[in-house]
Amino acid sequence: MNERRVAGAVLVMLGVVALIEARRLRALREEMVAGAVVGDDTFPWIIGGSLLLLGLYVLFVARWPEARVSFPAGPARRQLLATAGALAAYYVITPYLGYTVSTLVVSSGLYRAMGGYRWPVAVFIAGLTTGALYLMFRVWLLEPLPTGWIGM
Amino acid sequence: MDVLSHLAGGFAAALSPLNLTMALLGSLLGTLVGVLPGLGPTAAIAILFPLTAVLPPVPAIIMLAAIYYGAMYGGSTTAILLNIPGEVASVPTCWDGYPMAQQGRGGVALGVAAIGSFVAGTFGVVALTFFAPVLADQALRFGPPEYFALMVLAFTAIVSLSGASLSRGIAMALCGYLLSLVGLGPATAQPRFTFGLGDLFGGVDLIALIVGLFALSEVFLGIEEARVAITQKITNLLPSRADLRRSLPAILRGTGIGFFLGLLPGCAPSVTVFVAYDVEKKVAKQPERFGHGAIEGVASPESANNATSAAGFIPLMALGIPASPPLALLLGGLTVYGLSPGPLLFERNPQFVWTVIASLYLGNVILLILNLPLIGLWVRITRIPYGILGPLILLLCFLGTYSVRNSMFDVAVSLVLGAAGYVLRKYHWPVAPMVVSFIVGPLLEKNLIQALSMSGGSLRIFVQRGITLSLLLAALALLGLSLWLMRTTVKRVELAAAEGAELS
Repeated sequence: MNERRVAGAVLVMLGVVALIEARRLRALREEMVAGAVVGDDTFPWIIGGSLLLLGLYVLFVARWPEARVSFPAGPARRQLLATAGALAAYYVITPYLGYTVSTLVVSSGLYRAMGGYRWPVAVFIAGLTTGALYLMFRVWLLEPLPTGWIGM
Repeated sequence: MDVLSHLAGGFAAALSPLNLTMALLGSLLGTLVGVLPGLGPTAAIAILFPLTAVLPPVPAIIMLAAIYYGAMYGGSTTAILLNIPGEVASVPTCWDGYPMAQQGRGGVALGVAAIGSFVAGTFGVVALTFFAPVLADQALRFGPPEYFALMVLAFTAIVSLSGASLSRGIAMALCGYLLSLVGLGPATAQPRFTFGLGDLFGGVDLIALIVGLFALSEVFLGIEEARVAITQKITNLLPSRADLRRSLPAILRGTGIGFFLGLLPGCAPSVTVFVAYDVEKKVAKQPERFGHGAIEGVASPESANNATSAAGFIPLMALGIPASPPLALLLGGLTVYGLSPGPLLFERNPQFVWTVIASLYLGNVILLILNLPLIGLWVRITRIPYGILGPLILLLCFLGTYSVRNSMFDVAVSLVLGAAGYVLRKYHWPVAPMVVSFIVGPLLEKNLIQALSMSGGSLRIFVQRGITLSLLLAALALLGLSLWLMRTTVKRVELAAAEGAELS
């Protein structure tokens, strides 16, 4: 992957998106506020234009040394992917299963993935964590955590 | 004498058992939440806000202010020992605090942070007490063009902290500005960059951005690096004479920069700490020590952070303008209790104002007295194995992000930004400019629109006013200086590489 090309392309894309939105906002301003010379579109024009110019500069002018970046392999990659997967799962299941069940399930997985603990130990620590966080956020701070279908 | 008699009355009220207990409790709770990795003052105030709802206005605001101070102190602890800043304002502390901790000097870093915070906080509150009306009056003289120019100066300061690549720094800052545009426009309140998603109408949440870019990406990098928390015993909190010689001027410079910039609404600690760090690096005889455990790199931003926080109370109370996200929450606290911040607050509620100011003095003393002996306790929290701490941080980040606006959408934003932050940091793209420009973006835009409205769209307004022109020229000079420094650094690195030196 060529870092410079990817970065330049992303910046150009963001700039174009900002300019398109600025154009829409200018039309809206002219429709809503007659005679106004500036409005919600002014800053997006500046930012969009700057991003576009910078993106073109990065793509065609800038000379960056080739980045030597190594992403993890083997167990570290599996650990990283398992952690990211557990977080994504947490986001998906929390509204349905509620805070208590989803935190217990996900934290067991996280302790297993990140700490390498055996399942019984991971579930035990997860139970303690879930209880402590429940006491802190729900009982003590009265935060309205999601309860899901189960109601807890 | 009028000020002193008001202050004496304030102390009498602040020392009442209820108010004193709330200051103590707020300091402890704030530090406890602030010491939890990934959670900073904004999250701490947001999370603990419901606790204060049962209290009368004065103790409630005292407690919120104490939580703010405590969480800032707690944020320094995680920044130094775990390299995880709770808020943007703690980012520069990580740069030298964490290397110090790795070198076994974590205790000294924590001690200097505490001393710097106390000195700066106390100076800030003394100045707030005696010069508040004069200084607030000076800040009032700034019009939109001056604020715009000031934000441009902040922009160049941010970009100059981007390491060796100016284009990467500018790109990240522009992305931050772009993110700050999401939500309702300031002029017509029409949705922008929302793409029909109702969740984006309120804009991108700052906590989600910070948690994603700093805390989550930090945990991901920690997994990869098999990171362990600093495990050596933290002893010797008091800095040596040599440490003090190095850090005292840095504390004073950081205090000055933090306080005077902090007087201007919009100059939050997240801006001034970077300016203070930058100045410290530029005045240092050996700037190459920075980033490798320079004690001035901890002393200066920590002092600036506390000085700015104290100074931020002036525009908050006198003008009703919050200078930072935590102060915005405090402003929310004031309005919840039916108090209208602004010049009338001093006239109509002097007892309230002076009690809160007196409680700020007490808060600084409480933090120094409590937290230096309690550092061992806070450190023990960070000695938990990473296999336990990592999942705990992730769960807290998840719940902390959710609890700010009770929004699963914010959680999704923080997860996406966590992944993006991980990749960006792998490629050495600076994430701090993005966050800082995200914070100053709305102010920059508001002042730009107001200034251009004043001039009928003419850009000449920015060169016709003396202060504006001076600030813009200073920004240009800073940019030039940064470019020169970057080129010099690159040449130095190339020279060292050619000579076969081992570069880390």
